[in-house]
Amino acid sequence: MNIIINKLKKMTYKQIILYTIIGLCFVASIIFVNHNYSFYERPIAKVVKTHLEDTTNVTDVHHNKDRLFTQRIVAELKNGKEKGKQIHLTNEYSSSGAYDQEYHAGNELFVSIDKKNIEENTDLTGTIKDVKRDKYIMFVGWVFIFTLLIVGKRQGLFSIISLAVNAAILSYALDIYVNYESTRLLWICSIAAILFTVISLLLVNGLNKKTLAAIAATLIGTFISLLIAYYVIQATSENGLRYEEMQFLTRPYKVVFMAGLFLGSLGGVMDIAITMSSSIFGLYEKDNNISKKALRTSGMEIGKDIMGTMTNILFFVYISGSIPVLILYLNNGSPLVFSFTMNLSLELARALAGGIGIVLAIPISLYTSIFFATRKKAKS
Amino acid sequence: MTVQVLLAGILFLLMVLIGGKKGARSFFTLFMNFGVFLIIIIVMTIPTINPVILTLIACTAISSINLFYINGVNSKTKTAFLSSMITIAILLFFIVIVTKKAMIQGFGEEEIEELSVFSLNIGVDFVKIGAAVIIMSTIGSITDIAISIASPMREVFHHHPSISKKDLFRFGLSIGRDVLGTDTNTLFFAFFGSYLGLLIWFKDLSYSFGEIVNSKVFSAEVITILCAGIGVALIIPITAWINAYYLVKAREKDAIK
Repeated sequence: MNIIINKLKKMTYKQIILYTIIGLCFVASIIFVNHNYSFYERPIAKVVKTHLEDTTNVTDVHHNKDRLFTQRIVAELKNGKEKGKQIHLTNEYSSSGAYDQEYHAGNELFVSIDKKNIEENTDLTGTIKDVKRDKYIMFVGWVFIFTLLIVGKRQGLFSIISLAVNAAILSYALDIYVNYESTRLLWICSIAAILFTVISLLLVNGLNKKTLAAIAATLIGTFISLLIAYYVIQATSENGLRYEEMQFLTRPYKVVFMAGLFLGSLGGVMDIAITMSSSIFGLYEKDNNISKKALRTSGMEIGKDIMGTMTNILFFVYISGSIPVLILYLNNGSPLVFSFTMNLSLELARALAGGIGIVLAIPISLYTSIFFATRKKAKS
Repeated sequence: MTVQVLLAGILFLLMVLIGGKKGARSFFTLFMNFGVFLIIIIVMTIPTINPVILTLIACTAISSINLFYINGVNSKTKTAFLSSMITIAILLFFIVIVTKKAMIQGFGEEEIEELSVFSLNIGVDFVKIGAAVIIMSTIGSITDIAISIASPMREVFHHHPSISKKDLFRFGLSIGRDVLGTDTNTLFFAFFGSYLGLLIWFKDLSYSFGEIVNSKVFSAEVITILCAGIGVALIIPITAWINAYYLVKAREKDAIK
């Protein structure tokens, strides 16, 4: 307790205000997501009571054993004209839960109400459409914000801002793309990429020559890696890319794939660029008379150390998302090689292209950093 | 020749050209990790084995490859390994609960049409598999941060052998903070890149904000990004504390001798 009081005493006026604002936002938002039913047009029902009606064991043609359950649910409507009334729902779910789940009292669901019963004024019945997930996103979002703030302090705050700003830019850029027929996705992504790079690096590192060198290196690096990926795809006439497995397509798949590849490698290249430029500038500031050759050698040593881990990070982000669908394929009797080539071809290509960008970024950022650092000397 | 083979060839060439022996080693690490990934997925199809335990085994294997194969077995990599595993265990616990509560496991209604030829009742627990997905996508950055904190902490301890545990811990934290910004950036953009198709889909079909936020696919992706960020932040104090504790304890032992 004493420690807390001491900490409180040490806090500056500004900090107290900041913490109070964050605290208030937290409380307000949690209250809001738990009571925002009236903001939704779709009817929402809160589960009051559940009753397990039926259990069957099933085995499919591939000898997968599973259990199916049928649940009767009584729920209370939370919005709309029928607010406050009870509604009867049925839910079928399996123990594996690939596309369904068991509901418990307290769960909130989007439902559709059967019209017939409203008119006849009997008990309401309906079907379950989806789960109300906004409060969980909000909760995890706050855990994320608190962890980053507590651990990262200033840097944590900047990471949060950078995520929010970049997500907003991306959303806005996509709005432009979707609403104006004539725009090209790759052009939009290129402009967005410049904004992303400038904003993220400024937030991570502040406005200085180091950041400038990193921005230049990132843009050159991503551009070259995109070019390489493009020519490789052309040269092999897209052999081995299974676009048919790309999900959520409303647009020409090839462009979406290339734009995704572009965005994905951007972060990794930025990371390399900023690490390299920080170390080069650090070395140079320590010893102004250090030779370019010495800078090159130490820079390369640092680059060698980070390139493995960076490619690894990208690799795992890309391929992990395919785990559920791979398991589904394999358990449905699809041959091993077929399942893997079908579901991993695009992810692997993306990870490899990103890796190329990362590795190329090492010499590029090394030379831009040396250029920017030593130019300073020439001037003074 | 397929796109992937040519890209892999170029990547290998560049890694060797720029990184020499270390570069070649990094390339083989990728290869080995891919091997671990494939094996784990094949084992995961067996419904009787708990996917959470399999994920932990996979993480052990992958962190061992990333830490011990690249940097050798020594006290530095051992503490980094220990911190990675503790972080993963905590994160896994958190993610399983969140996945279950938010019901984001398996496939969303947007995906289900393409998968209609498949039988979905395959007896595998998709909640735990969903947690495995999130953990596996962060494992690369978790081990990266662990080693990037552990190395400089040892350097500082080496140069100032009388440094207190508290100062050592603080130093570890400050190193971690520097890495935090760039690593979260890498993760965010990698996720943005892979979700681009989904985002365009939502915009094209003019989903309302409420529909997007509550849909299974979108919430699953957002929760994945956020959990990845949480993991990357969480590893920092854990690694800093374990290293500070270990280094000071080793010094005390030496003093008694």
